[in-house]
Formats: sequence, structure tokens, C-alpha cells
Amino acid sequence: MRYTFLILILSVLLVCVIGCAATGEKVTVKSGQSSETRVYEVFGMDCPGCHGGLEKLVEKIPAIQHSEANWQEKRLAVVVRPGTELNDEDIYDAVRRANFTPGERVK
Amino acid sequence: MSFGAVVEFALVSVSANAAGISVDAGLTAPEDRWIIRTQVRYMQLKDDPTLMDRKMTTYTFPTVLAYGLRPNLTVMLRQPVKDQEMSMAGSSSRNTGLGDLFALGKYKIYRRNTPQYTFGIASTVGLEFPTGADSFTSETWDLQPGLYTSWRSGPWATDFNIAYNWNGFADRGRNGVNPGDELSLDWALAYQFSFGEKARVSFAPVLELSYKNISPDRLRGHDVLNTGESVLYLSPGIKLTVSSFILESLLQIPIWQDQKGSQLERGMGGIVGTRFMF
Repeated sequence: MRYTFLILILSVLLVCVIGCAATGEKVTVKSGQSSETRVYEVFGMDCPGCHGGLEKLVEKIPAIQHSEANWQEKRLAVVVRPGTELNDEDIYDAVRRANFTPGERVK
Repeated sequence: MSFGAVVEFALVSVSANAAGISVDAGLTAPEDRWIIRTQVRYMQLKDDPTLMDRKMTTYTFPTVLAYGLRPNLTVMLRQPVKDQEMSMAGSSSRNTGLGDLFALGKYKIYRRNTPQYTFGIASTVGLEFPTGADSFTSETWDLQPGLYTSWRSGPWATDFNIAYNWNGFADRGRNGVNPGDELSLDWALAYQFSFGEKARVSFAPVLELSYKNISPDRLRGHDVLNTGESVLYLSPGIKLTVSSFILESLLQIPIWQDQKGSQLERGMGGIVGTRFMF
């Protein structure tokens, strides 16, 4: 029984590791279109796992094509979807809902 | 036959980066964030003070599902599966089944994020339902209020939490027995080494210090014999984070304990677990 459970746990671990390894982070820009990139300060991220929650909320914003958070640099970079307008307040709201604090827009 | 109380360490996993492993003193999760946590926990009771040569080994497999309902409110469910073997005087018995279901809400009281540090305080209220198998249920509704604090600066993280398990909250006094309540104090310290261009991988050694006190059961105004205990654990561990996935392990070393009556002593325990966030 114990060995069955251990095998089950190890299987779950293996699936999760494969899943994480298969997850890619790509910034895709269609040829012929120019995308605007903005960078914001974000305070409160303190681990590799923090970026996921923030990116999930930010990428719900319709004008956002892609986002990438860097917890060590305390930065959030977003790619604005071509042909759309992005209100910085939408970004700040998403940051707060992730339990972080927005700083200045640096780019 | 008294083997002593089996203390359920609170496994309140609702933060991605809590410093602790046996407990989670992190703050509330981001809104709309799911966290799944699984563990294998090993615990042994031994060193029988009587001549009956009693021993008990327990494997617990808690599964936790947490969700960030709001930025300041996280909800969680925990369902353990248990496998327990007891032996005495050459004979043994074994039981496997579900433990009691536990639900918890965590509310963010205060959080301050600055370029130099993050500090926060959260309160919790938990409720344990008497839904487990006959061998593992407490048979009572248990209420667990708690308070968590968390401080992070650079690679350092430290958490402290206090929780009180009010056993038999809704069934107090049934059959004249008042089950003993549990007080837990837990402190965790971690240092994070990060790797990679975007620092999506980190490795953190962890050290925990945990104190548990279970008051004796009371019957008609008197302490029930062979109930109640205090134990202090020193627990080194490690935590590996790869993006949204965490692998963690902990070795629990009882450095001091006081078991009332003829209860068994606690031996070393261990935890291996995973967390997945999405």
C-alpha cells in the first residue's frame, strides 16, 4: 500500500516536471505589425512562482498580447496587442489584484 | 490501549512562496490563482515506557486545493488519506482510510510591498468536519483560528504563525469528555538561491522550529490519564522552485517532548511534497 502511494506521488511529480518543462515562454509578433512594449516596476514579487499569478491577471486585459514578469528585477514587461490602446491603470489594477504594488512605468 | 494523540500539523497551503513546509505562513494568493499541494508525511511513535513494546507508524497523504477568491481572501480544502500501522507485544494491526476534511479561509489584514522588503499579516479560520473513516475521524467539529506573519527581504524569508485548534468545538462535553485543544507555534526561515537568466529556478534551504501543545482531555472536571503532550521540533528542509512548480522536503526532529502518562514518544518524521500553481 505504501509503495503504491509512493509510486503514485512519484508519477504526479514526473507529470508536473514534464508539464513545467514543456511550458514555453514566447513572445510572438506577427510579421508586418509593430508591437509596443511597456515595462513597469512591481514590488512584492519574491520568488520564481510569483510571476505566474501576475501574468495570468495581466493577460486578461484585452489589450495585452503577452506579459512577462521578472521577480528579481522587480519588473513587468507587457506587449500591447497591435491596433489596441492600453490604459496603464488596467495594469496597476492587475498588479494590486495579484497582491503586489505597482511602481513607476519605466518604459 | 493508549498510543497517544496523533497531532495533525496544520497544512495551510495558500501561498506560493511561504517559507515553511510543514505549515504555511504565507499571505493570501493572487486573485484567481489555483494552488494544488500534495504531500507524503511520515510519523512514528515509539519508546514505549510500559512493557507492551508498542509502536505506531503513520503515513499521511494530504491533498490541498486552494484558490484566491479575492486578493485579500483565499479559500482552501484539505483532504488527507492515512495509513497507520500499530504493533504491540508481537502483534500488529493496520488501517487505511480518509481523514477528516478541513476547510479554511485566509484573510489578508495587512501587506506592505516595498523595493526593500515585503511584510504582511493574515488571519485564518478553519473548520474540520468529522467525515473521516472510523479509525481516523476525531468525531467532532473542530474550529481553528490562526494568525500568520510573513517577512521577506532579498533572498531571506521568514514566517511565523500561531494557530489554536479548538477540538470538539460543536460537541464539547459530549459523554462528559472535553477533548484537549491544540496550540501550535511555528517559525520558518529560508534563504533563496536563484538561477537562470530570468531567475525562474530557485533552491532554498529551510529551517523550521515548531512547538505543539495538546492539553489533556477532561472528564467530569478531571484530566483523563495518558492524554496531553508537548513537543518541540527542529526541522531542516529544502525547497526547489521551477517556475510554477515546487518540490519540497523536510526532516522533523523532536528535540524536546513531554508525553503525559504512558504515551509513546515521538520519533523523527519526514515530509516530501509538491505544489503546483496555475
